[in-house]
Amino acid sequence: MTIAMQTDPFIDTILAEDGDVRDRSLESLCEDQSLERLMEHAAALDRFRRDEDNLYRRVRALFFLSSLYRYHVPARFDGLGTGSIPFDGYEHLLGRRFQEAIDAFLKAQSQQGPSDALASALAQAYHELGFQTLADQVRHSVRTVRGNQWMFRLGHVAEHPLRLRRELDVLGNVDGVQPVLRETTAVRMDVSHSAWSDIFFLGMDFPQGARVVNVSVDLGVRGRDDCVRPPIETYLRVIDRPVFRLVSVDLGASTEVTTVAEMFDFARDYLGLLKAAVIASGVVPPGLEGCGSSMASLLERVVGRGRGLELVSKINDIPKGSRLAVSTNLLGSLISNLMRATGQIRTLEGPLTESDRRLVAARAILGEWIGGSGGGWQDSGGVWPGIKLICGQEAGPDDPEFGVSRGRLMPNHTVLEQDRVSDEARKKLQDSLVLVHGGMAQNVGPILEMVTEHYLVRGDAQWTARKEAMKIYDDVVEALCDGDIARLGELTTRNFEGPLQTIIPWATNRFTDTMIESCRSQFGKQFWGFWMLGGMSGGGMGFIFDPAVKQAAQDWLSVELVRVKRSLETALPFAMDPVVYDFAINDNGTSAELLRDENAGLPQKYYALMLPQWLRTPLRDLSPQTRGELSRISSRCSESGSSGLDASELLRSVLPTAKVNVGSDSGSENEPVEDSSLKEILHRNGFDRSQHEQIRESMRSGRFGLAANRLARDLKIADVESRHVTDTREGIDEKMVRMGAEAIAAGQVGVVTLAAGVGSRWTQGAGVCKALHPFHRFAGRHRSFLEIHLAKNRATSRRYGGVIPHVVTTSWMTDGAIRTALKENENYGHDGPLHISSGRSVGLRMVPMVRDLQFLWEETPQQVLDQQQQKMRESARSAIANWARSMGEGSDYTDNVPAQCVHPVGHWYEVPNLFRGGVLSRLIREQPALKYLMLHNIDTLGANVDPGLLGLHIDSGATLSYEVIPRRLEDRGGGLALVSGRPRLVEGLAMPDDRIEFGLRFYNSMTTWIDIDALLGAFGLDRKSLDDAVTVDKAVREMAARLPTYITLKEVKKRWGHAQEDVFPVAQFEKLWGDMTTLSDVDSRFIVTPMRRGQQLKEPSQLDAWNRDGGSDYVDSLCDWR
Amino acid sequence: MQVLKAVITAAAPNQNTLPLQRLVDRNGEEKTALQLIVEETLSAGVEEIGVVIQPGDEENYRQAAGSSIGALRFLHQDHPRGYADALLRAESFCGDDPFLHLVGDHLYLSASQTSCASQLVAMACQHECSVSAVQSTREHRLPYFGIVGGNSIPRHEGLYDVRSVVEKPTPTLAEQELITPGLRSGHYLGYFGMHVLTPAVIECLHEVMNDPSHERPSLSDAAAKLVSRGKYLAYQLHGERYNIGYQYGVLIAQLAIGLSGRDRDYLLTELVELLAKRAEGNPIATAEQSTSSEGVDR
Repeated sequence: MTIAMQTDPFIDTILAEDGDVRDRSLESLCEDQSLERLMEHAAALDRFRRDEDNLYRRVRALFFLSSLYRYHVPARFDGLGTGSIPFDGYEHLLGRRFQEAIDAFLKAQSQQGPSDALASALAQAYHELGFQTLADQVRHSVRTVRGNQWMFRLGHVAEHPLRLRRELDVLGNVDGVQPVLRETTAVRMDVSHSAWSDIFFLGMDFPQGARVVNVSVDLGVRGRDDCVRPPIETYLRVIDRPVFRLVSVDLGASTEVTTVAEMFDFARDYLGLLKAAVIASGVVPPGLEGCGSSMASLLERVVGRGRGLELVSKINDIPKGSRLAVSTNLLGSLISNLMRATGQIRTLEGPLTESDRRLVAARAILGEWIGGSGGGWQDSGGVWPGIKLICGQEAGPDDPEFGVSRGRLMPNHTVLEQDRVSDEARKKLQDSLVLVHGGMAQNVGPILEMVTEHYLVRGDAQWTARKEAMKIYDDVVEALCDGDIARLGELTTRNFEGPLQTIIPWATNRFTDTMIESCRSQFGKQFWGFWMLGGMSGGGMGFIFDPAVKQAAQDWLSVELVRVKRSLETALPFAMDPVVYDFAINDNGTSAELLRDENAGLPQKYYALMLPQWLRTPLRDLSPQTRGELSRISSRCSESGSSGLDASELLRSVLPTAKVNVGSDSGSENEPVEDSSLKEILHRNGFDRSQHEQIRESMRSGRFGLAANRLARDLKIADVESRHVTDTREGIDEKMVRMGAEAIAAGQVGVVTLAAGVGSRWTQGAGVCKALHPFHRFAGRHRSFLEIHLAKNRATSRRYGGVIPHVVTTSWMTDGAIRTALKENENYGHDGPLHISSGRSVGLRMVPMVRDLQFLWEETPQQVLDQQQQKMRESARSAIANWARSMGEGSDYTDNVPAQCVHPVGHWYEVPNLFRGGVLSRLIREQPALKYLMLHNIDTLGANVDPGLLGLHIDSGATLSYEVIPRRLEDRGGGLALVSGRPRLVEGLAMPDDRIEFGLRFYNSMTTWIDIDALLGAFGLDRKSLDDAVTVDKAVREMAARLPTYITLKEVKKRWGHAQEDVFPVAQFEKLWGDMTTLSDVDSRFIVTPMRRGQQLKEPSQLDAWNRDGGSDYVDSLCDWR
Repeated sequence: MQVLKAVITAAAPNQNTLPLQRLVDRNGEEKTALQLIVEETLSAGVEEIGVVIQPGDEENYRQAAGSSIGALRFLHQDHPRGYADALLRAESFCGDDPFLHLVGDHLYLSASQTSCASQLVAMACQHECSVSAVQSTREHRLPYFGIVGGNSIPRHEGLYDVRSVVEKPTPTLAEQELITPGLRSGHYLGYFGMHVLTPAVIECLHEVMNDPSHERPSLSDAAAKLVSRGKYLAYQLHGERYNIGYQYGVLIAQLAIGLSGRDRDYLLTELVELLAKRAEGNPIATAEQSTSSEGVDR
């Protein structure tokens, strides 16, 4: 290491032993540094991380670099300069060759000089390399835990070293029943929520800060279950067929695994978690992946010739997203069960010893890694009994982590016995706490990444918050030991409202805020506090009440939660109706029992699931064991008590019913579409059946499709020159600003907000109305996209005078929700004219062509995922292709709720809809001075009626002025290009080669200034003929025919069971607004605006960066809040 | 310390006829397995041998013992209560003397001029303590052996101070508790079926027999207790052992013995001829079936 490196303050911070120096924030280091100095520091950091051996120093340097390029370097460009990102670097990035990508970007930077585009690419590459390095370390640690290593060495089934315990296989001795090993396991709740300190990366770098209080609980759903019990039950038994049968009674899924390869195919069915457990338990060790053997030969070795195993899981219908770590504890339960059966845990029955629990926890971590999911290290807490402290541990000389990371992968568990937390204190906790599932099931992955990043760069506010959370943890433990639940409630609330939201503002949402507020106003001082259960709020949550009102509060909550959910369900992604739980502390953790003879039964729902299959099979084809099982069912039906079966449920399972409604919580709204209602919806909303059939025909024949979307390869597509655009990044002529301001004051301009889409990427296809999603807190409240746009309108009209009419365009999917929201919230306090332009046409989604799926997966650039996740993805893809084949390629997609089957037909139609629906005509009538419209996307938060830009548009005399912004790495999907010498917008779908897009400097922000009369003219209309419906329809049809039709694949969620969700890609067609620039008779111009103005929020994972880089402050400054 | 007594266990059900098998020794003489085991034992200077058998087997064993019958004493195990109990049948035979112990279903082949038993007894006499013969065993064979975890003793090649003993451990447990520094990864010290034991072991055997948590205690369970009673070593001696209880066990043991002796050339010629004459085509059983046969220990 050179001396120059050591004197760099950034590197000093990383190397420092002294906490005060080491915990300096990146912000403080960057303060007052010029761009040149920052670039020097960046170069020094890059050299440092290439030479440094210590993993965590390397990782911290990577995150410093990522933040430098993401936040601090671009801020010093003053928004100028446009560079282009080298495509080979981008390809490396997609292929996870991060090192090569960084080298390519740095090389371009040394040639072109620093630019916003390159900074965004470097930030992304360093970020990804940082997380990859951390993930590799966790993977390495998981593999090197003693007791796990052998599973990776085993390469052939003939060398399988495990044998099933003899107690489990009694067949052959008598014609009796095979015993069943039943494991029951608690779930865990996290009392302290120590600021996500249970993320592995944090625990391994900052073990002294990684501490949680974790309680094992039994559950019951209030109003459904008559008692509380351990929610997780797993069953294992030997069967007389050489297969591994996996059954999940909650998901209604069963499969017989016949090859070792199938066990590693996780996304093939709903049994991925069970498969991960079988692998992590060592029964099918991970080393066997790819060995090509049959399951029979493996089972012969482990169980015996002709024998197989059956593994059954049951979680008592606890809905997904409960934040109680149900899946990790289910994994733990399955693993414990299998390890007992194979003698890896010595006790066959009863609770586990501490060393066995640690072994199970280590295997559960392995299982999560294998299954491509990820939990925190406290999640297997349900395996331990009662209340325990789980704390990070410094790595010692005997640990594989020693010398690599400060902390160990596996934390320490200290069970708090009665002497620390008395029975009375436990009872007090149970008498005060109400556990609920709010109904939201969200992906917390992005949040965990944000937390890790904040920690590594020691964000000033976030680091202070983390220290406060650590202090609160100590107080929480004290309050719990004292049995002072009121104080506990006060602490958990303070934690939630203070440190947690400082670190991650998105830990809360409007639903949670509303519920807390409701509790306060309903119960006043008797509401002791709110308790966030982990990840993010909205799913599993706790409310703490005075025991005197707990019962009443529980009843009230079960109604109030549903009421508030109803009012927000079009805006927030709920997966089910909220439920209230009953709970009790579980003092066993996980425990097993060998059920013998007449007690050796499986749960009721197992028989309901399997019976129809058995009855369909001729008796002679059933194995003797199954025949025996069948003959015992009838006798068990006549028994009473826990081992008895409910004959009526079994009967229901085999007889056809009028409308199957098994296992759905959310009532009729989540049922697949009934034909009649879908027909009605299509009919009412202008569905064009003949056009639909034509598109289907073209899709099937290959005339339409992802490949056909693309422009011809021989077209010359190049970047525009400076004469093709008006660059406003350095300011706009004062004259133009005055002209625009006068036009605003004179009421010449209106705003059109496009809100017909459901924002597939925003909620991963949850189908809620993106416009109404209250995603960020401004002026003390969560505000939705729509509310923000109205606040900007108010700010502009207040500043310049005049009235700016605001139009929100909707589609069938969003119309009702937006109208209701505006009505209920009284237009969010907006007093100007507000119109809704309802969509006039809808399309019906179709099952995609396998050809298009393959094109999407193989021909378009795709981000390669981390090793295990990539395996999961590939397995899921083959399942999806099979689904498309079995449903019929190109057939109507009707197997979902109507909102998910019907689609808006592209934003181009939203402008003609203003003509057809009479909204434009009304606007003109009400405000005859109206001459211009500013049209923008719902997620372009920075777009406002800027007088300078309006002035430029007026002055140019153009029909349409499109705003474009300098491209960053994340701005994919087309751009401004010179096509055969003419400037126009090219959609990403139409790019003949992805490489071309990287040569285009400007990205289309979709914000468009429209000259109303000129646009009407282009359609062959004028202000008068707008009222003639026939003429308007004809004009729109003719114009539509001149524009290309794109086939796109959108992800839609199908919800089922208890908050379970499947995501399917479905095909739809679209016509896009940017394609108006292809028409030579429409005068289109292009204005370059600063990045802030055109920045779009497409995914929730962008929120953190948007908040940190000043994006939210910028939007705030444009608004006038009510 | 002098080792003048030996105990051979041969009472296990299904294995009681193994020592009666006939084989050809290195010199081309036909002998029973029992004779070979007894010869191995006598080569170490042992004078008296106790053979633990099922009560009905004595006549057959007498016939199979050949000329060595004078050194043998038959001890009966009336009920099949396991390995530890079988050894306890020799309690009064051994008295307060140390003894060499061999199992009746193993044949040994030394890699040096000194027999396996002699090597082990020499080591025990030198260190004056119990010593078990061990060999490096790959983890997939853990289900067949008692496994020893220990530390190698400096300046004594192949000698280990035993830390723990577990009968047929799972690889999970072995990795956590039985790793022996110096062995390749995934390899453990597995019992060789040959031990020199001091009288201290008898007390341990009684303890494990009285412990209800052990269903059918084995020698390993008792040896695990021996660790805390004084010095207990494991020795990786120069030689191989062959378990004739496995499928093809007798055949493989016979080949190993034959190929190391007088008739090596003759056997090789026959083997080559066998291979050359084998009909073309696939074996009757598929590869997968044969590899998964329980009992074939590769």
